[in-house]
Amino acid sequence: MDTFLLSLIVLLAGGLFALLAFRQFNLMKAGYIALSIAGSIIGLSAIRAPLQQGITSTFSTTWLHIFSLSFSLDSLSAFFLIPIFTICPLATLYSFHYMDNTNKKSRVAANFFFLTLLTISMALVATADNIISFILVWEVMSLSSFFLVMHEYHKKDTRKAGYIYFIFTHVGAMFIFAAFSLAYSYTESFDFVSFATMPDNIKIIVFFLALVGFGSKAGIFPLHIWLPHAHPAAPSNVSAVMSGVMIKMGIYGIIRLYARLEATDLVYGEVILTLGIVSGILGVVYALGKHDLKKLLAYHSVENIGIILIGTGIGMIGIATDNMVMASFGFAGGLLHVLNHSIFKSLLFLGAGAVLQKTKIRHIDKLGGLIKSMPTTGKTFLIGSVSISGLPPFNGFVSEFLIYYGAFHGLSLGGSSFIFTIFAILSLAIIGGLAAACFSKVIGVVFLGEPRTKKAMNAPDPEFTMTLPMIILATACIVIGIFPQFFIMTAFQGLQSISTLHAVTTNEIITVADNLAFAARLLLVAFFLSLLLRKIFYLKKTVTSGPTWGCGFTQPSVKMQYTGTSYAMSIIDFFRPFVDIRTTYSGINRIFPGRTTYKTQVDDIAEKALMERIVSPILYLLAKLRWIQHGHIQLYIGYIIATIIVLLLFI
Amino acid sequence: MESFITFAIAALTAPLFPGIILKVKAFLAGKKGPPLFIKYFTVLKLLRKGSVYSTSTSFIFKLGPVVSFATALICLLFFPFADRAPIFSFHGDIIVIFYIMGIGRFFTVIAALDTGSPFEGMGAAREVFFSTLAEVTIFTTLILFYRLTGSLSFSEYFIGDNQICLLNASGALLLFVIVALFMVLLTENSRVPVDDPATHLELTMIHEVMILDHSGPDLALIELASFYKLFFYSAFITQIIYPFTHTSSAINGLIFYGILFGIYVSIGITESIMARCKMNLIPQFILTSFALVFFAAILTMGVLQ
Amino acid sequence: MINITESILVITLLSVLLSLGSTRLMALVQIMALQGIMVSLTPLFLRSHGSLGSGAIIFFQIMILIKGLLIPGLLYMAVKRVAIKREIEPFIGYHASILAGLAILIFSIFITNNLRLSLPEGHDMVLITAITTMAAGFFLMMARSKAITQIIGYLMLENGIYLIGTALTKHSHTLYVVEFGVLLDLLVGVMIMGIILHNIHNAFDDVDTTSPRRLKD
Repeated sequence: MDTFLLSLIVLLAGGLFALLAFRQFNLMKAGYIALSIAGSIIGLSAIRAPLQQGITSTFSTTWLHIFSLSFSLDSLSAFFLIPIFTICPLATLYSFHYMDNTNKKSRVAANFFFLTLLTISMALVATADNIISFILVWEVMSLSSFFLVMHEYHKKDTRKAGYIYFIFTHVGAMFIFAAFSLAYSYTESFDFVSFATMPDNIKIIVFFLALVGFGSKAGIFPLHIWLPHAHPAAPSNVSAVMSGVMIKMGIYGIIRLYARLEATDLVYGEVILTLGIVSGILGVVYALGKHDLKKLLAYHSVENIGIILIGTGIGMIGIATDNMVMASFGFAGGLLHVLNHSIFKSLLFLGAGAVLQKTKIRHIDKLGGLIKSMPTTGKTFLIGSVSISGLPPFNGFVSEFLIYYGAFHGLSLGGSSFIFTIFAILSLAIIGGLAAACFSKVIGVVFLGEPRTKKAMNAPDPEFTMTLPMIILATACIVIGIFPQFFIMTAFQGLQSISTLHAVTTNEIITVADNLAFAARLLLVAFFLSLLLRKIFYLKKTVTSGPTWGCGFTQPSVKMQYTGTSYAMSIIDFFRPFVDIRTTYSGINRIFPGRTTYKTQVDDIAEKALMERIVSPILYLLAKLRWIQHGHIQLYIGYIIATIIVLLLFI
Repeated sequence: MESFITFAIAALTAPLFPGIILKVKAFLAGKKGPPLFIKYFTVLKLLRKGSVYSTSTSFIFKLGPVVSFATALICLLFFPFADRAPIFSFHGDIIVIFYIMGIGRFFTVIAALDTGSPFEGMGAAREVFFSTLAEVTIFTTLILFYRLTGSLSFSEYFIGDNQICLLNASGALLLFVIVALFMVLLTENSRVPVDDPATHLELTMIHEVMILDHSGPDLALIELASFYKLFFYSAFITQIIYPFTHTSSAINGLIFYGILFGIYVSIGITESIMARCKMNLIPQFILTSFALVFFAAILTMGVLQ
Repeated sequence: MINITESILVITLLSVLLSLGSTRLMALVQIMALQGIMVSLTPLFLRSHGSLGSGAIIFFQIMILIKGLLIPGLLYMAVKRVAIKREIEPFIGYHASILAGLAILIFSIFITNNLRLSLPEGHDMVLITAITTMAAGFFLMMARSKAITQIIGYLMLENGIYLIGTALTKHSHTLYVVEFGVLLDLLVGVMIMGIILHNIHNAFDDVDTTSPRRLKD
């Protein structure tokens, strides 16, 4: 625990250093990055013991003489600390050249400080062991990330995004408060350990109240609305951390609460699984429909949260039905996907940031051919895309395979669990296919073909501090894919904290992991052999180049390339009842038609429903109370006094 | 050792069978048709040639054929032919195999997008859409097979104790699977009524349009990959139809190739008597195959077990 | 070996799914003919129904004749004579209908399991088929706009009721008398519909059930 605290202190020192030394811009950045990396390495060394030997260490102190703040580092916390301590330093390294605006030194420094604060608070959320400390660090996490989103506050869109994020995160926090206060009223103890003593029906209410809060942080489907607003607005290093790591804290909350409640009802698993299926499928469908690169990635976070929840739900159903193969592989797959998603999603966000910085274009239909001018970004982005599509031999497949494995072993169940398991497997298959469709779209439209606009031409690769994190993350994707044994074991070790779960024997896990490793290596061997075969076939052959065949058309232009919009439209159309497609078409009405425009826009039904059903009625109601706000300061003081008196009367 | 021999036979004979389809089609149309070994000739001819690359393309364009060839070959490595165990096999290999096919498709698609041609983009868009739907059918089949046998690998399905076969108990359910898999076969291998491998109109094609710009040995690799893929699906159906329990593996092998021949003939007949679907009816076609298998899977909940 | 009763029931269920997914009226009528034959064959192969007397044989033959030939034939004539547009014109699309069919199937399995009737062995499958057929018949009536599809939906409903009777009874053909009466009613209904449709068609040039809505003030 001491090493863990030391790492946080070093991280904090980095953040403070950035604030103090912002006038020396490069020194500030270098010092900050060095301290962050050092702190993270110390942190990583601190989590080895709890993860591998299952030792739980604790730390507690009293606060305001009444409350005690207690933190404990067990294997589940340790597992969630891995992405925090690996992704955050890489994101800070990336920011050396990404945050290069010397006119706004203080703002950059503030950004660094809040990023540090976010990292520390996330690490503390993952270790918090009682209600008070959890809520405290949860709030610090929400607020620091809010300031990070607001980095470019001079833009109207950013302010709007920050506002939406603020509302969501605080309404979510309110539900968590409600859940915890309900739990406190039954257990009369702040400790999480006492949660297991609650009656079963109260457990369900506590869990689902908190689920709203954790879900809004994680971005579960109807509560995901802030993600596609906040991620594009934030700088890319911040979106990498937020999407890669911070939203996982919601997942952590769900799993931790479930473990602490020691609940074994079927309803938990069924609800989580259903939410996972809905988030997974709709997340990827909306991602297909979006053409702002970062918005698209944000929707993919919703999708991947869905996959993680499917794994978790499978695990919970497994526990409820006492099917431990299903339970362990479901949970392990979900956990490993947390790690995997943090790797490839931050890789993709960093890549998107590089594209954005060099071309200043957000809309993918205006890009094209970037892989020739930005080879490193292009190749790492390609690896990230294949990984996120869950294709072997990369890391996304490993975790999805574990979930599949668990789910298939749940098929022997009867009744409703069988139906839920079927839907879990089918939705995983659909999500996999659609994710591949979506990322072939992104790769194809952004990086391949010909540049569609002038700006997209000749954009160079970014500087090495930006490419290095991408290369490291891309390597991690491959390494986890080809040597999955260690990582699968780590995920299983993370599960030790769930007391209701009796994991399967180590032998079975090793067999599965070895098989996966074998398949991935076989694929690589076959690939290199085929490559060699191709080389042999091309010995002493004439190879010429010419234009792409235009099927007889002799005047092709870059505008004729297939756009991302058209690429995705038939798929989105298939999901029409769940997706709102708006088309505006000016039509052709003369013999010699002039300019015509055709525009489609895909709207989020959750956002629309929220606006129509909740926001508009509330605004209408509040407009009626407008008269309370009249601007006289004296009367406001009167309100305060009246409130205090009333409160004192009742308490 | 025998596994390697059966694999080698499969890999070598795979290009023969599409020739049979052409023969059957020609026969039904009252024509003489190309020679039976036409596909071997095509591949050899392509291997002798050089290539022309579009100036728009990058290294991805060259990766596409390689990856699709490698993945198609791996699928055959895991597949048991007749009563012989496959070269590789483990619990859960089917999931891996269908995902490996996925990566082959992914690279074919991005290689097509690499050319910047509008036609190839269109073909790529259709390919990803239809194959996603077909994947759902396949996974439903796997669900059904798990219900029937409790196993997750090809060798457990077909040469284990609890064999999956039309002639065993609960064979009625497998009838659906065979029909549905045949529909998936037509979809995934770009046959009529989903796609037309022989058409001259780029706009109506799906798979063929994606490889318009490939030439020479690259095209040969793609062709070989598509033969293997077709062979894989046909062999899959063959294994479901008949249990290869005869004591002599030579006889088993003969029966296997006999039924396989029958399946290719039925593909040829299907292509001759059916018209190509309208593009907007294809999702419905694939969905029907899904409905069939899902239906069978649901029935395992009831009485048929 | 393949169990014949189960195969018949599975084909019946399949015909239900196909009827939900078919786009052409003619195909729908043919599917109904197949379904009729399968449904009337079911009791013959149920194990518990024991040996059949000559009366029973004749009874079931008449059944097949009516369900498999007469009614579909009349429908066929109606479609031909009235020259109704061949497409079915759904309110609920074909994709959604197929998926709805699968959902109906899942529900009927749950219902059958929940009913916990003491059925003879092998009869719960009959009950599942019966409930699915009935519900799909209702669905077809709701989801399609033509008058003739209403009749086909009703026919499907009748098939389902017949199967329920089969599932619940254990003995001879005499218990089918009620169903037989219903079937005769239906036959008359189809004939009348054919005539009326013909006349409506002559009068309005259209046999869409959405048209009578215009009569409302």
